[in-house]
Amino acid sequence: MVLLRRIWAFVARDWLVTVSYRMQFFLRVLSVLIAVTTLFFISKIFAGFTDSRFAEWHDPLAAWLTGLAVLNYFMTGFSSLANAIRQEQMQGTLESVLMTPISVPTVVVASSAWDFVEATFFSLLYLIFGWLFFDVHYRGSTLLALAFLFLTTLVLSCLGILSASFAMVFKRGDPFGIFLGTGSALFSGVFFPTQLINQYAGSGVANISKILPPTYGLDGIRRVLIEGQGFSQVREPFVTLLVFLAVLLPFSLWVFGRAVRRAKREGSLIQY
Amino acid sequence: MSESPENRSVAVSIDHLSKTYPVPFLRLKKFFRRKFKPPAEALRDVSFQIREGEIFGLIGPNGAGKTTLTKIIATLIQPTSGEVTVRGNDTVRHDVQVRRNIGLASAEERSFYWRLTAEQNLLFFARLYGLSGTEAKRRIKTSFEMFELEELAPRRFAELSTGNKQRLAVARAMLAKPPVLLLDEPTRSLDPIAAARLRSTISSLARDGDNRVTIFLTSHNLAEVEELCDRVAIISKGEIRALDTPHNLRATHTRNEEVSIVFSPDVADDVNLALRQAFTDQSFTLERASGDERWLLIFSREAEDERLDKVLNVLHQTRATVRAVETKRATLLEVLEQYEENERADTGGKRS
Repeated sequence: MVLLRRIWAFVARDWLVTVSYRMQFFLRVLSVLIAVTTLFFISKIFAGFTDSRFAEWHDPLAAWLTGLAVLNYFMTGFSSLANAIRQEQMQGTLESVLMTPISVPTVVVASSAWDFVEATFFSLLYLIFGWLFFDVHYRGSTLLALAFLFLTTLVLSCLGILSASFAMVFKRGDPFGIFLGTGSALFSGVFFPTQLINQYAGSGVANISKILPPTYGLDGIRRVLIEGQGFSQVREPFVTLLVFLAVLLPFSLWVFGRAVRRAKREGSLIQY
Repeated sequence: MSESPENRSVAVSIDHLSKTYPVPFLRLKKFFRRKFKPPAEALRDVSFQIREGEIFGLIGPNGAGKTTLTKIIATLIQPTSGEVTVRGNDTVRHDVQVRRNIGLASAEERSFYWRLTAEQNLLFFARLYGLSGTEAKRRIKTSFEMFELEELAPRRFAELSTGNKQRLAVARAMLAKPPVLLLDEPTRSLDPIAAARLRSTISSLARDGDNRVTIFLTSHNLAEVEELCDRVAIISKGEIRALDTPHNLRATHTRNEEVSIVFSPDVADDVNLALRQAFTDQSFTLERASGDERWLLIFSREAEDERLDKVLNVLHQTRATVRAVETKRATLLEVLEQYEENERADTGGKRS
């Protein structure tokens, strides 16, 4: 109950800060609409594309919108934890937050809660704009797609915890962010099928996409939402994500604990 | 009957506390042969206890270790060695429990959310303390009343004056009614009237019967420390140089006091002559005081010696009428300056 109250405190705080910048919020909504419209016109170049190897991409606009919506969510899962720490450090409020009887992991998780609320809103906006204005239809089990989304976000949150640990000790220059932020867009099949990497760059480079959790998340969600596949058909990416989670969750929590102790020893917890 | 401070239980215990800030990534720096500064020793073997309901002051020059010590008590920094407990809870092993027992008000303006109102800020922190909505609002209302901030509740933090921001910081520290309060220069930016009111509030918090709050105060305002604190520690270069009541610190530092006597009518020449005859040393100053035919006689003496009595006799013999007598003992500022001077002399001695 107290934990929920604390998470609610952060969500309410960030909501109030967000509405104090109304113009920025409306501009973001507008930018999503412009991006969706642009993709609609680009998709018209590929009208009639029917390569049987890329069934998920027969409607490229649906594939892109799903990719962007999901990537937006994944990136929030990954980056919001480190950003939460960095933001509080830069504002100078971390010390006063840490003076309350709240543990550092709770601060990190709770202060990124609003980012997830916002990401849910903007991810849905991609899908809603596609459906509302450009006749993009989704099928398959929404529940299964949400399970994929949840699982991938959890896996990325583990990487986010590693990133937050990095921010805690090194303050800036997080390698996880660079690798995942730019790597996912290129290697996880957000804009094009990952099979093309193998075809044009060889299996060595293509293997990079295999070690990125978003690849499996995106693949699963597209197969469910665009192709209408059931659980038995998407079991493989689902299990792969579970394995990622089983390895990364305990490891990231262990690293984070050490990072907090180190920052407290060095007296650099609130520095940025 | 009120309980004497010595019989009260210990609120904060600091036991052989040392803190040396390590050099970050020392091995890497050594490996790459990068230059690095030596580890900074911020505290060295600090030990003292603060009793329940005591107002304890910590004074010292900049960089003496005051902030480090405050932050260690507040669990924000871990000590290198030694132990700090707050109401029996270790600051490293039971940090959450310690934070339930303390409130920290620092002079740092950036510790609030500038886009939120004063009330929204306090509501956020009240929720972090685990207070329910109703309870949080009740406490916020009480805090606003106590610190006279009611009218500022709906205003954004960014719009508040520096002094009001500081008062809000103290109000926040008191939100969860912590038994131990850490105050870092609480009146630094307040006008004299607001500062006096806040001092009165601080004082009343520590004297409030069964709910008395233990207060750990760091300040550069030595008059404030003298006025408020039951005991004061002087810290310099990470070590506690002296710890006692303000009265005893002054007395230990110097037994001399300055005496000023205002007398009339205009018999200064007679007084001067009589003093020359009565005393072998001539360390008297005679100057005109404000007011008709009034003179001011200034001299120093060792506390409670017979010099004042002899001077009064001289004045009586010369038919002067004593209008006012004032004695001034060393202030904490002078005590602190003396310690700093001794330290400079020590350092100089070592260098030579």
